[in-house]
This record gives sequence, C-alpha cells and structure tokens, in this order.
Amino acid sequence: MRERVDASERMLDLVIALSHTRHRMTKDDIRTKVNGYRDSASHEAFERMFERDKEHLRELGIPIVTLTDAVHEDDIGYRIDTAAYTLPPIDLTPAQMGVLSVAAEVWQDSAFAASAQRGLTKLRAVAGGTSTAAPGVALRMRAPDPAMTDLLQAITERAPVRFTYRAAYSGETTVRTVEPWRVHARDRGWYLVGHDRDRDAQRSFRTSRIIGKVHRVGEPGSITIPESRPPTPERVFRTPVRLAIRPESAAALRARGSVDSSMDTPSGVRDVVTLDVSDVENLADEVAGYGAAVVVLDPPELREAVLRRLRAVAALGGAQ
Amino acid sequence: MIEPAPDRLTRMLAMVAYLRDNPAVPVEEVSEHFRISEKQVIADVQTLWVSGTPGYMHGDLIDFSSADLDHGMLTLLDSREMDRPLRLSPGEAVALLVALQSLLGTLEANDERSLVEETIAVLRTAAGEAAAAADAVEVEGRRRESDDRPARIKEALAAGQRLRLRYVSASDQTTERDVDPLQLLTDGQRWFLVGWCHRARGVRHFRVDRILDVQVLDMPADAHPDVELTGRTEPDTARAEQVRLQLASRARWFAEQLPDAQISELENGWLQLTVGVVDIAWLSNIVMALGDEVRSVEPPDVAELLAARARAAVDDYAVMGLA
Repeated sequence: MRERVDASERMLDLVIALSHTRHRMTKDDIRTKVNGYRDSASHEAFERMFERDKEHLRELGIPIVTLTDAVHEDDIGYRIDTAAYTLPPIDLTPAQMGVLSVAAEVWQDSAFAASAQRGLTKLRAVAGGTSTAAPGVALRMRAPDPAMTDLLQAITERAPVRFTYRAAYSGETTVRTVEPWRVHARDRGWYLVGHDRDRDAQRSFRTSRIIGKVHRVGEPGSITIPESRPPTPERVFRTPVRLAIRPESAAALRARGSVDSSMDTPSGVRDVVTLDVSDVENLADEVAGYGAAVVVLDPPELREAVLRRLRAVAALGGAQ
Repeated sequence: MIEPAPDRLTRMLAMVAYLRDNPAVPVEEVSEHFRISEKQVIADVQTLWVSGTPGYMHGDLIDFSSADLDHGMLTLLDSREMDRPLRLSPGEAVALLVALQSLLGTLEANDERSLVEETIAVLRTAAGEAAAAADAVEVEGRRRESDDRPARIKEALAAGQRLRLRYVSASDQTTERDVDPLQLLTDGQRWFLVGWCHRARGVRHFRVDRILDVQVLDMPADAHPDVELTGRTEPDTARAEQVRLQLASRARWFAEQLPDAQISELENGWLQLTVGVVDIAWLSNIVMALGDEVRSVEPPDVAELLAARARAAVDDYAVMGLA
C-alpha cells in the first residue's frame, strides 16, 4: 500500500468499516485494521487523526455512535448506523436541481458556501438528468458570520448562550448572556434577536461583532421563544424636501422628484427639485455625496445635516 | 486549490449512490452531473475501487466493471452496501434553505417564484429534522413593487437581447449606453447588472438603482465567451489604489458591509479601514456621507482632493446665504 493515505480515502475506509462492523470497533481495532490508520506514527498521532475525522463525519451528518461494553466500561467502541443517515426518498426535477444550483452559489466564500455545495452534491446522488438553470440571474449574499452555526443550534435546542460582544458605538467589549430567539438578515448584515438576561430586555446583536466562541450556559429546552413577531415597519414617505441642483446633475435624485422651477444663484442657474423622503439622515448621506452640485433649500434640518458632513470632510485636507 | 477531504468524501459516496441507479453511464455524463472534470471522476473511481472493509482483499472492496471503463463507461458491480444516498446535515440544510428563501425575496410572483417554492418544499422533505434550524432565520428583502427594471433586464437576459441604458455613474455623469447583459446580481438589497458595455468596450458593473431608463432593443446581444464572471456584486478591487480611512466606531456598520475591506482596531473604539478604490467618485460619495465619522484619509493627495470638493460645496451654500 501507499506511504500516505489521503484524508478523504482514510475517512471513506473508516465509514465502510464502521458501517459493516457486526457490533462495534474499538480504537485498537480501528488502528490495527482500518486502512489509513495503520500507518499512524504514534498513539497521539492516531488519536488526533481519529478525533478530527469523527468531527468531520459529524458535520457531514454521518455521526459515529459511541458504545460502551457492559462488562468493561472503559472499553469504548464505535459504529455507524447506516440506516439513520439515509436521505428520505425524494423526487427532484431537473428544473428544481437548477434552482438548487443557483441557491448553492448564493453565499460568498464562507463555511455556509461549503455547506451549501456539499448539500447540493448529496442531492445530485438522487437526481437524474442534467439540471436546467435560469440564465444569468444570480443572488450573492454575504454569508452569516462564524458564530451563526452555534447560534442556530442553540435556538433549535432552546438553550441560552453567552458570548463576548463589541458595542457599535463605544467599541467596548462586554460579555452578554442571551436567550436566542431567531436570526435575521437586514441591510447586508446578520442579527441575532433574543432576550438579554443582564439587561432583562429584548436586544438585537449584529453577529459580526460577536468575538470568539458562543458558549452554551444552560440545558436544552430551558428557554421559551415567544411566538409573536413584531411587524416590520412600512416605509412612509413624509418630509417634503427642496433642492437646488445644477443643470444636468444628480439625475438619480431628479428621477425621484420633480423639477418645479429654476433659480439664479451667484454660482449659476440651478433647477429647484422637490421630493418627499422618509429618512432625512439617509438623504443627507446621498446629497452630501454630490458636493457642490446639490444645495439643500429646505428643510433646514437636512441642510444642517449635509453641511455638518461637508465641513468635516473640508477639514481633512492639508490646508486646514 | 486542494479540495477539502469532507467535500471529496461526500462526493465519492454520492457517486456510489448515483451509479447504483445509473448503470453503464458514460464518464462524461458523470462529470457533467457532478460538475467536476473527467480526470477527477476517474480519480474518485480509482479511490473507491480500492476501498472496502478491513482485510481489503478481493470481495471486500467496492467493485466496478473494468470492461465498461475501457469503453468510457461506469458500472458499479459491488457497492459494499455504501449505495445509500446521504441525508443532509443541519448545516447543509440551513445553508441551502436560507439561500432559497433569500432567492424568493428577490422574485416577483410568477412561475419562477412557484418553482423556488416547490424546491423549498422538496428540500424540507429531504432535510427532515435538519430543516428546523432554518425556521429561526428570516431574510428581509427590500423589494420595491414598482421597480420593473430587474424584470426587464431578466427578460433581455433570457431572450439574449441587447439593452439600451440611461445610466448615472458614481461621478454623476448621465450617459446612454448599449449593453449586452451577462449577469444580473443582487445582494438581497440592491441589484447589479454585469454587462458588456459597447461605449466603454469592456465589462462594466451597473447599479440598477442608478439606471434611469432601460429599453430592451430589438437586436440580439453579442456573445462574449471570453468574459469570466466573478459573481461578485462589487467590481474587482484587487488592483485598485489602497486607501486607508480612520473611522469612528459609529461607522463600523459601513466598514463591515464592504466585501474586500480590511478592518483593524485602533484606540477608543476607532478603527482603520483599508479598501481598494478603483473610482475616486465612489470614495468621495462615501466619505462625504460619513462626514465627521472619518478623521483621516491616506494617502494625503486623496485627502486633499476630497477636502477641496467639500470646501467648494460649503462655499456654494455661503454665497447663497445658506451657511
């Protein structure tokens, strides 16, 4: 046999051996009989290899069952119950496989991307024919952060968690104990919603600010997730805005409002454009980006918000 | 890149289950089905062929027909009972289900939407208990019912037609361009069109919310087989100028949403963002929007350029008696 056996080949032989064993295999059995483990350099090397493979197989949905001998309790054995890891019978059409192929491409390089691809591979085992896909249309999302897997598992098992969290404003880190309820994606970020035990209130945590591991701090089934979901607020268009825009400029803003008149200013003729907005601060971000091309006439709070931004940037140059 | 061992193991087991149902299947077809090279198919089969139960003698091993392989076909003779398709792990089920739910949020009510809904139903059956975790995940789509631009672009993509756009660039220039659509991307919030722009004679990314008008032309789009689509919603910033911004903690949300940015922590919650900038107008829009949440910009010539733009704007308010 070869000098070094590839990890995927070793795991394949382990899966076959543990599915075929009559009762169970001990670590000794595995080390002496299973291809790929036979050439491990030392006891420690074998242990590391076996533990890593066990963890990989658990992630793949092929859990290794641990069995102890009734007579010799220290003598631990292992097996795999093949019947338990079988995919239920399903019927996937080529069009549905096409949709799944598109779905598996959604996540940009992350653990989620790898999981989706592996799931797709498993489904290909039972899909006949070649998949058909809609041309050209694709969704690309920033995948959830590493904490997500642990959070979802805690939610499924109804278990409280503890993690270190970096606050958005102060940048300070605190340890938070939370009863996790659900996770949602908003504004290109992922949030955990739950009950913060220390503050005794509902809180939302951006998962990218969770530092390090998420720890379980209670028994499964020890929390209750409220059924009611707060309704998502509708966008309301309210505040009337008047802007003085240079000719041929800010077409994207013009498209959302209407040109009422034009005015002479010391810096030239400008069109007066009116539109309604729901969020003045949001519009200030956009208007400031146009620099001198767009001047806010009304409301004063929007004008101040834009000027505050412009003055701050004006101070960034060398000629302060 | 070397393929991770769990991915290859998953595929080899999937292949055994697939070959049980599909005897005498050409290698080429297996390669298309699993989206791998024919060379990789053969490598996987060679591995399976020498795998089996301890002892590893003839009869212990997974076996294929060598006669069929000589004719470029695969026939499984003995699976050693490894031909059961694998169930989905919770992580795999969640990654696929959440992706499908996100896709659903970007689609209008039509056939495409019901196809995705059907697929979700089948996947839930396939996943069983593993699907439970996906119920805790909500994806908020910011879909505007009145926006028919994505639908029109999709129509052109499906029919292979050329588009005529009226487009506002980041530097606020409105231009008319004929574009051969290649891909329509969304990050769940905004839409991006990747296309071959006949005006720029190259591949360009267009933000759909900056398209003032889109017309499907009665003219087929050219084929662009040489174009490699990256699938990124932002233009490639690898060869761009590296700009460093020092941001207040309040601007952390902004730094976090840039796909290729590097963030490092400074004192008192300030952070340093290093980002590749292809288009200075893009950077200007961002820095103006962040305002006093930016305390320094490097290199200095970039900082001076932005400051000069801002000073000119403040002057315009001043001469109008508004500042």
